[in-house]
Amino acid sequence: MKKNKSMIVCFLLPCVLAILIVYLYPVLRTLLMSFFKIESVTSDISNWSFYGLGNYKRIFGSATFRTAMWNMFRIWLVGGIITLSIALLFAVILTSGIRFKKFFRAAIYLPNVISAVALATMWVQYVYNNDYGMLNKMLRSVGLEGVKWLGTDTKFWAMLAAFIFGAVGYYMLIFISGIERIPQDLYEAAIIDGAGIVQRFTRITMPLLKGIMKTNITFWTINSATFYLWSKMFSPVDTESSTIVPVVYLYELIFGGKSVSERDAGAGAAVGVTLAVIILLAYLVMNRVFKEDDLEF
Amino acid sequence: MSKKEVAKYREKVNWKKELRLLPGYLIVTIWILFGAAFLLWILAASLSTSREIFSGTVFQFQSGFHFENYVNAWNAQNVSVYFANSLLYASVSCVGVLLIAGPASYVLSRFEFFANKVVKSSLIVAMGIPAIMIIMPIYSMTVRWGIKGRALLIFLYICMHVPNTTIYLLNFFATLSRTYEEAAAIDGCSPAKTFWVIMLPLIQPALITITIFNFLGVWNEFFMALIFASSEKMMSVGVGLLQIVNAMKYTGNYGGLFAAVVIVFMPTFILYLFLSEKIIAGVTGGGIKG
Repeated sequence: MKKNKSMIVCFLLPCVLAILIVYLYPVLRTLLMSFFKIESVTSDISNWSFYGLGNYKRIFGSATFRTAMWNMFRIWLVGGIITLSIALLFAVILTSGIRFKKFFRAAIYLPNVISAVALATMWVQYVYNNDYGMLNKMLRSVGLEGVKWLGTDTKFWAMLAAFIFGAVGYYMLIFISGIERIPQDLYEAAIIDGAGIVQRFTRITMPLLKGIMKTNITFWTINSATFYLWSKMFSPVDTESSTIVPVVYLYELIFGGKSVSERDAGAGAAVGVTLAVIILLAYLVMNRVFKEDDLEF
Repeated sequence: MSKKEVAKYREKVNWKKELRLLPGYLIVTIWILFGAAFLLWILAASLSTSREIFSGTVFQFQSGFHFENYVNAWNAQNVSVYFANSLLYASVSCVGVLLIAGPASYVLSRFEFFANKVVKSSLIVAMGIPAIMIIMPIYSMTVRWGIKGRALLIFLYICMHVPNTTIYLLNFFATLSRTYEEAAAIDGCSPAKTFWVIMLPLIQPALITITIFNFLGVWNEFFMALIFASSEKMMSVGVGLLQIVNAMKYTGNYGGLFAAVVIVFMPTFILYLFLSEKIIAGVTGGGIKG
């Protein structure tokens, strides 16, 4: 036993240190920072001055932050409904007994494994391009005018559409794994009782996918709250109000940028804490709304 | 399940059934065709001149295939540097993660001790903590102590993948029979040696799966690399590509840009061609975020 004790310590120590250095200490310090007035992110604790809820008041009073939150909310709600609907539709199609299921599944999931920067570059530089872009070429080939997709009015939706195209595959896989766990005899019994395809979907598939739905909505919420890369790729140099999201605002509060007049690490920390609270709430609300009914099947 | 599926494929085509499924086929085919069309176009554009791209004649290759776009991207646009960095970050991190998470996961699944539950739950909590909550203190720490360079990013990537890897490996150690350890102990093998020589190799399939995911995760990581790769020499492919896109306004070298995109995209794409089944099984079975 004595030998085991030293082995346990040796084996566990690096892992515990990793948690302490990269998670526990930074999270606590970020939490603390959000209540202090701090100009530069690198300034020493002795230069911090207590600010109470001042940082939170400041960010919620800032029009830029409110725009960013509004954009995030639209990504969450509109993007969430579209992504999860398409993912569910694909999952149902792929489990309906079609051929080449494995190929379709792999092809739809593909965007999830390649670099999102490369993917976003393809959308910005090709699909949405004014002159030679795919969409405008399609429009012109049927005699319509080309649209300036990356103009201020449509940029947000262009970004969201590109993001959704890449995201669908992941949620589809989770839905598929849920649907495949539903026993086939339920469907067979329903067919004998004369249930149509719509009834089978609404009365069997949907209710039994509750747990999976919870997982997917929680993941989507986290994805929306930490949304950053696509916004950066669609406005790579200057931040624009059409694509700004809270993480972009946070980044510029810390490292400087066009959307903020001066750096303010305390306010940056407050943005981070706000987003973390949103994620935490998502977990709690989801566990409340979708209580595990201990379905046995 | 796989046997059943094989049998299904060998069945004679049931046209009535296929016709009923036709709308489904159409929807997924259109989605995939759209993706395929734009991938093919990018590939063609990476072999064309900027003039051909703008005149919309990329598929005609009137002036031949411009492989020099790739040479140009690789050398002049620094893609070789970004590529080597990403390869270094991803491979070293993957090994480092296993060296830390493997032993930790083993003792957590095998031994009952006071802190066991605490460590397990903090690992699960750590998995849910977004990067935005940790970057500020880490950044200020590294600046004040003058820590920078590739080692810093590798260290961060290792630590950030320890929680999910440890949790993932737990279940696999739990399925191994204790008779292995008992037999090794009788033969005089120390517990630590038993782990490295006998137990760890036994969960090799799980190690491979999680390493694929860690590799993809580090290769595609963007946010940390953007903050902590302070000079061009340390940039990963993601940040490097952003750099190239931003420089595009001045260079106007679109063929080179698309060649860079293809180079960044290829490694994980090729990995996926060979390993898609394993990756998909990992997402659906292991609950790993892909």
